[in-house]
Amino acid sequence: MPSVAISVLKMQNPLDSSPTASELCGKTLRSECFSLLRELQNADGGWAFHNGEQSRVEPTCWALRALFASEPYANDQVFRKAARFLQTSQLEDGSWPATSQMSTGSWVTSLVCSVLSGDALSADYVKAGLKWICEDFPRDSSPLRRFVQSLRPKSATVSQNDSYRGWGWTPRTASWVEPTAFALMALQEAVPQQLPKNVVERRNLAVSLLYDRMCPGGGWNCGNPRVYGVDGDALVLATCWALLALRDAPEKAGRALSIEWLRKEFANTQSAGSLAVARMALQNYGIEPPQAERNLQDWTAEDLAEQGTHVLAWVCMALDPARHWPAVAVTNQKTSEGRAR
Amino acid sequence: MSLRNRELIPSFSRPPSRVMIRKVARYEEDLLALIYESLREFQLPIKDKTVLLKPNLVGLDPQGVMNTHPAVIAATRESFLKLGASRVLIGDGPAMDRDTYAILESVRLNEFTGKLGKDFCDLNIDDVERVQLETRATRLKELFLPKTVLGVDFLVSMPKLKTHHWAGVTLSLKNMFGIVPGSCYGWPKNVLHWAGIDRSILDINAAAHPDFAIVDGIMGMEGNGPIQGTPKAAGVLLLGNDPVAVDATACRVMGLLPERVEYLSRAGTMLGHVEASKIQQLGEAVDGVRTQFAVLPEFSRLVA
Repeated sequence: MPSVAISVLKMQNPLDSSPTASELCGKTLRSECFSLLRELQNADGGWAFHNGEQSRVEPTCWALRALFASEPYANDQVFRKAARFLQTSQLEDGSWPATSQMSTGSWVTSLVCSVLSGDALSADYVKAGLKWICEDFPRDSSPLRRFVQSLRPKSATVSQNDSYRGWGWTPRTASWVEPTAFALMALQEAVPQQLPKNVVERRNLAVSLLYDRMCPGGGWNCGNPRVYGVDGDALVLATCWALLALRDAPEKAGRALSIEWLRKEFANTQSAGSLAVARMALQNYGIEPPQAERNLQDWTAEDLAEQGTHVLAWVCMALDPARHWPAVAVTNQKTSEGRAR
Repeated sequence: MSLRNRELIPSFSRPPSRVMIRKVARYEEDLLALIYESLREFQLPIKDKTVLLKPNLVGLDPQGVMNTHPAVIAATRESFLKLGASRVLIGDGPAMDRDTYAILESVRLNEFTGKLGKDFCDLNIDDVERVQLETRATRLKELFLPKTVLGVDFLVSMPKLKTHHWAGVTLSLKNMFGIVPGSCYGWPKNVLHWAGIDRSILDINAAAHPDFAIVDGIMGMEGNGPIQGTPKAAGVLLLGNDPVAVDATACRVMGLLPERVEYLSRAGTMLGHVEASKIQQLGEAVDGVRTQFAVLPEFSRLVA
């Protein structure tokens, strides 16, 4: 259990008390974000990063996450159109490309598998995607490469355990924190019958990799905790995704340290995207985000859309207390071990 | 109409390049006047054109030592507008942190430029276009590059004067790594590392073909750059119409030998001039502003 001091989230019954001005602002902003997100759906069912651009897999996944964060979606027209866009974007090998012009799969495969995991009409697509994920090993940690590395003098540039294996942003590169976290979350959310046989091994290796790549002071950056003997600085988004991915993993001291790093960092976080995702990550661990210099109401829905559909979607999700992913931990005990999903 | 992806011209048939060095001790100086006057000397074909400034925005940098300083970016933007550009965009795609707006907030860019709105482009998530790589310096046959970069009339690389722990130095050519979209290649853009950093620099620059370079060397970084190095005041701005020549000159200002920087040496055969004899020097002389930058032991061969 994390040793950090935490304040406990109290589940508010709307009938118990009147909403505060801040809560009302949050509701208004969420409603505006929600409306704008719906408006931004392209005719092909997908979303672009910005209005008027071509539909892409990543913003489509985040928009779906936000629009259906707390509602049943299977028969909704918006969802079906978007699911169709995602289904037709899948490559023959089961992966999804970052953009429709690309012919190789990428990390967004994990996002699609997550967002379509509950959709019966997408089951075959998701199963193929999960198979691709479990068969996609990064090149930097192949047995041959590790053998060759073992014959060389120990590198002074980086310190990491190459026997752990996660996922890269693109195939046949190296393991990085964020794609590893997204793949882990996709595997966690999948229907068990859809999972390939090696899933347990992949999960264990990936969890070990995330812990191995943690920054010495807690938190994560892209995956370089120490370079040339200098400790790397953690980053908010990478830390959030890693913490969400490790929500169900065995507790290690580093996780509590990272939660505490994020809690402290939250107060100084200046961007809407990081504030939104950090809020969701902390709440997923049952921690009420502390007062911050900035809050999400500092931006309008249009400002957020300018930063990208993914940012608009994250804020929409962060302002939805009933979201089922990543869920707000329901707890009235002094613990951070709330409901994970 | 885009000017990108122009034909490569062998070094021997290129006209001499022009590089200007200006002494600037502090960011509080009148950078607008200085940059405007400097740019006027180049008589750039930018009237009624769209210009994209591509600064080096690497990470959260409240101290202003890692990224191109916002005062330089803002003054350059204002200068191009004064010189008749119809629109001056600012865009970058940071390599390590996908929260580009967190970086913008940390450097307080809006305080210097005013609200940019759609005049700022997060190149990591811009619409992309397939570009066939003519140079084939790497094994990559194509790259997907941002439409904004490919569509502008005039592209300006605006790096910080820094040493780099993998490439030796990071200047205007290496700065172009930032146009490769993270949404396609990740954070970091690891495909480029596997293809070879030095070689990737050549392919990217041949494809995107920056037209001009302005190096922020007022405060640079030495040692373990581009993020964890030591701040080093060099007190200069470098400007030029050939990014290779600007980088070569910047190396000389840093007390380093450009011919020994692998990618720069190769760039001198196809993208621009490295040889000092083919660079027309304007403003200050290199000898008058040279400041020795420390490098990691792996790059001791670069020291002049």
